[in-house]
Amino acid sequence: MQTIFDLENVALSLSVNGAARAILRDVSFSVAQGEILTIVGASGTGKTSLLRLLAGLNRQTSGTLNFRGTPIDGPQDGVAIVFQDYTNALLQWRTVGNNVALGLPRKLDRAGRAARIGDTLRLVGLERNAGDYPWQLSGGMQQRVQIARALVADPSVLLMDEPFAALDAMTKAALQDELLRVRDETDASIVFITHDIEEAIYLGNRVAVLAGSPGAITRIFAIDIPFPRHQVTTRERPAFLRLRHEIHDAIGGHA
Amino acid sequence: MNRETLRGIGGVLIFLAAWEAAVRTRLIDFDYLPAPSVIAAALVEMAEDGEVFEEIVHTLRAALAGWLIAIVIGVVAGAALGLSPRARKYCLASVEALRPLPGIAFVPVAILVFGFSLETELVVVVIPTVWPILVNTMGGFAAIPSRLHDVARSFRMSPAAATLTVFAPATAPAILVGLRLSMTLALVMAVAVEMIGNPAGLGYAVVREAAALRPDLMFAYVFIIGVLGIVLNAALIGAAKLVLPGEFKRPRAEWSRT
Repeated sequence: MQTIFDLENVALSLSVNGAARAILRDVSFSVAQGEILTIVGASGTGKTSLLRLLAGLNRQTSGTLNFRGTPIDGPQDGVAIVFQDYTNALLQWRTVGNNVALGLPRKLDRAGRAARIGDTLRLVGLERNAGDYPWQLSGGMQQRVQIARALVADPSVLLMDEPFAALDAMTKAALQDELLRVRDETDASIVFITHDIEEAIYLGNRVAVLAGSPGAITRIFAIDIPFPRHQVTTRERPAFLRLRHEIHDAIGGHA
Repeated sequence: MNRETLRGIGGVLIFLAAWEAAVRTRLIDFDYLPAPSVIAAALVEMAEDGEVFEEIVHTLRAALAGWLIAIVIGVVAGAALGLSPRARKYCLASVEALRPLPGIAFVPVAILVFGFSLETELVVVVIPTVWPILVNTMGGFAAIPSRLHDVARSFRMSPAAATLTVFAPATAPAILVGLRLSMTLALVMAVAVEMIGNPAGLGYAVVREAAALRPDLMFAYVFIIGVLGIVLNAALIGAAKLVLPGEFKRPRAEWSRT
């Protein structure tokens, strides 16, 4: 299987108030083509920093970080990002359709763009909202817009930074199932950051635990629970409960 | 016309009626305070004469040309300062030192350099008019959420594309605040420099009629200047609604209030 991301002994220090602060240390893992890797950890373990490294928005201080075998030197083609704070991440002055259009390649003609935007909005259930402005929509719908914007160019990798953390439980469950369905239709690899252990298990092919300060990947769990997953029955499986217990312990019991 | 506008007009009419009554009954009695009806008659007289239209064009040209120059300087410099913390570090002290200088103080300088001309008016209009635009544009660009920088980078936009498609629209409400403040200021400065500097346009006309002991004509000119201010402001808001439709439909867009 092809490797999308490959990290070896990656460390990150950032300057905080003029002093260097170690954020990540000794992070090694890889992401395979087509998998959903969820990264779970308590706050302050460097989850977002790790995703920013994968996104090419920050550079590691040491170690190697390869995307398809080449060192990352900035945001890569075919990698789309979904941020947690949809209100800031969406262009509030543009309609839903025009926000999604931001992700489209420039070479597409007008009809091709319209068709692609329509298809993508249908995928996330917003086909009737193309003319609305983001601030006219609920939080869950705004996050769907951001997901559509990420998906519209048919990325091979989707990086998601706690995308459902600000949403209520029901919306969160609905979007989790939508994400799994969308993945089946697009076959994108997904790196999904979360602080929610159950969400990490429910969505993931594998769950990586980020722990400590500075953070490091301390364990990686293979989730051999079959797809399609179901919000009630999957979460009742003995394997799910056992994993929840183990990951909880691996995190340090505070998440 | 909505109810609010009708009430506003009602308020003006009540004020004018009270003024008219007070002058006619000699409740207030100044030598040079005419009643509104007399001022209205003066307006008709001026319209028939026609010279007022040239004066309006002259003042409008000075105010708008100065305003446009100030927009170019203010938006470009404001964007550069807003986007670059380093540029701010070097320039902010100069900005703060220059900003309080009253534009009217430049009238003698401008007259010495440019004589009694439109250029003199432009200098005096542009200098104070730049600041509200520059400061608001700078603040707007500096306050762009870092997330929008992430978004622009993650879509691999060039700096020019990011500025045009993300940063400038995100800053548009702040820039518009600067444009509105400075537009009124441009008109005020144009009138002022015509009063004490370049003898032309509406500002000079007010002084001329006062000196000619024609308070009816003087008040008529003041009235015209006021109406120009209202019309310019309404035109700017109308234009902004065309350019930023999403922003105006948004509830509580505080900068759109007067």
